[in-house]
Amino acid sequence: MAPASYFARALVFPLVAGYALFFYNRPVFFLSSASLGWPTFPSCLINPMAPTAASPVTNVVHWTQREFLTGKRLLFNILFYGAHVGLFAYGWYSQATNKRLAALNALTWSVWTSRGAGLVLALDGGLILIPMLRNIIRVVRPKLTWLFPADENIWFHRQVAYSMAFWSMVHTTAHYVNFINVERTQVRKQIALQIHYTQPGGITGHFMLLIMVLMYATAHQKIRNQCFEAFWYTHHLAFFFMLGLYTHATGCFVRDSVDPDYIGTFPFYSTEHCLGYLSWRYIIWPGIIYFGERVYREVRARRATRLSKVLVHPSGAMELRIVKPSFKYVSGQWLFIQIPDISSLQWHPFTITSAPEDPYVSVHIRQVGDWTKGLGERLGVGPSVVAQMTAAAMKGSEKDRDLGNITRGDFFEIDAKVSLPAVRLDGPYGAPAEDVFNAEVAVLVGAGIGVTPFASILKHIWYRQRRGNLGSLRRVEFFWVCRDAPSFGWFQSLLQEVEAAQADPNFLRINIYLTQKISEDMLWNITVNDVGGAYDPLTLLRSRTMFGRPDWMNIYGQMRQAIESGQYIAGAKSQLRTKVATYFCGPSAIAHALKDATLQNTNSAVEFTLAKEHF
Amino acid sequence: MGALVWHDLARFISITASVYAVWSGFFGIFYRKFFWDFVGGTLRDPGGLQPSPAASVFIMLIVKTPVIQISAMIQGLLILALEFPIPVFKALSVYRSFPMRIVLLFFQAFSCVLYYQGTNAALYSLIAIFCYTQALMRGEEMEEAKANRGKGGQA
Repeated sequence: MAPASYFARALVFPLVAGYALFFYNRPVFFLSSASLGWPTFPSCLINPMAPTAASPVTNVVHWTQREFLTGKRLLFNILFYGAHVGLFAYGWYSQATNKRLAALNALTWSVWTSRGAGLVLALDGGLILIPMLRNIIRVVRPKLTWLFPADENIWFHRQVAYSMAFWSMVHTTAHYVNFINVERTQVRKQIALQIHYTQPGGITGHFMLLIMVLMYATAHQKIRNQCFEAFWYTHHLAFFFMLGLYTHATGCFVRDSVDPDYIGTFPFYSTEHCLGYLSWRYIIWPGIIYFGERVYREVRARRATRLSKVLVHPSGAMELRIVKPSFKYVSGQWLFIQIPDISSLQWHPFTITSAPEDPYVSVHIRQVGDWTKGLGERLGVGPSVVAQMTAAAMKGSEKDRDLGNITRGDFFEIDAKVSLPAVRLDGPYGAPAEDVFNAEVAVLVGAGIGVTPFASILKHIWYRQRRGNLGSLRRVEFFWVCRDAPSFGWFQSLLQEVEAAQADPNFLRINIYLTQKISEDMLWNITVNDVGGAYDPLTLLRSRTMFGRPDWMNIYGQMRQAIESGQYIAGAKSQLRTKVATYFCGPSAIAHALKDATLQNTNSAVEFTLAKEHF
Repeated sequence: MGALVWHDLARFISITASVYAVWSGFFGIFYRKFFWDFVGGTLRDPGGLQPSPAASVFIMLIVKTPVIQISAMIQGLLILALEFPIPVFKALSVYRSFPMRIVLLFFQAFSCVLYYQGTNAALYSLIAIFCYTQALMRGEEMEEAKANRGKGGQA
């Protein structure tokens, strides 16, 4: 090392250390820290007593507000639960006032309850598959975003399922009372257990309850995270569940005759005497369409697909570049991938990381689970190889910098000796981020591996910037919340490219937050290396890395003030309401914090929206 | 992805079974019926099934006084208190015992299968027992409860 630079460092070191300690308990906010060029240390690193958690009461209040009482959610609750209660009341009323069913009405409240709840369950049975019609939703979504958040389809599926569990309880309880009273009064010459276990209604009902226990238990988030396969395979019991649902009312259970009035032709009962709601005639259609969709997905997956290249990044992420001419997508979307060599049944969802302008479709896969590790082994870059690579890359990076070489995101291509496995793609499926260009300001927040959709979006923005075709988009704030340094690797080359291409320094701002606890050595190391460097020592970007978790409330508050005062977007003062759309991909804790921040900062001048992608 | 933790799955099914047991026991108090009364019973119109005299013990415990229904409710509540768990149980080492859960669920299944409303609760209890047995055979262990050191996951 040259003596001059040695002295410079020796001189600068105490100054920097002093500054670092002086600024240590400054709140983390992006505008000033980015402009100062200082790494901002979070208070939790140095001051362990910093208060962070809110009280349980405020949490519950926030939760209730978020889940039930805000805008669209409130409207949804009124419509959804209103429809359920209304239908229950109608089912109760139509049974209780039906003169032809007078014999059954001798059972009083229990039969009215079971019929009302049965009608509600028919509604739920008709609704439960609709959010799963992925291809139809993808087509319909862009036209209906104003009406309902179609990207929240899994959320809606869950609400229907919760409702179904509750009304099943009501329906079943009422029927247990019905059947015991049928036996006692002998209004039909049967015993209760005959109705339960020898008639279609009873048999399908008990089977559906059992299937629900298994499906709900394995669909719990905890089980899904542990063993997705257990959830995935068990959820296919839905096929038998739906069959049970559609045939639950066969057997002419609700009738005004003594015996069931069966006929020889479809549907094998006569509506003269069988007076059920016949709801299966309406609710079977989503089931048929869903089945058709599954067939269509299978057909589409069989179209010509070729894995053209596999790149391995030092962080362990594998980049699969796939050529499938029939596959059309927009950035921010995702797909299901299947590799028959590993499992011919499993489909795994991944975000597309290439832009639509690229000649290939790429996905980045980290080796974290059985399947992804299996893929690593199959390609000859299993976890052990990757660990070596990562270690080598970390060492190499130290040397690189001394040589003035500023790349660390070096990847290598898989040897041609390894035969590449066959792949099948299913998709693309929609994600909210595809409508980035409709807002004036886009805030893109990726946490951890949740940054993947933004790879595609940033690339796409870059392509469109070059074509001068940005829609109403004026500024992009990109946030990446990330735990450890090595996972920066593969994303870094992309970010460098995009950052370097910026002509207007204000268009794209990259904010990277490192949330890992940093050892004191590393802290000093960063501080020393950071001084006077044109590039951030960790990311090798011009944007500085910030340390600790972002304070979203503060960030959004500052952004709102900047927009209101007209500093943020030039000439925006006279405009109507500025739309700031946030797109988030990552864990739900951050999503909740973002939701609170967007709600609190929305006012007459600035509208903050939040769309999140679910895993 | 990865390995299924059987006792986590068993917990959910056990909770379902126990909630069902409590609810069925509650209704069983108002509509009392011995499930197995069709064995040797005679059907009377009106009046329903009249159980055979051989079952008089069960008629005493289920129909005349709802002892079994109430005991099923108590067992269900006990298992729920253990599974959720209430803070008192959380600190006990017995809280982490699978054999104890299997035994409790077995008694619950036995009580529930005796009265009319409880059969599904009995079936689900048996499924929970199956899952806990799997956990036991695979040598799974329940983690000791963490001391409360502030709340995680707050962004």
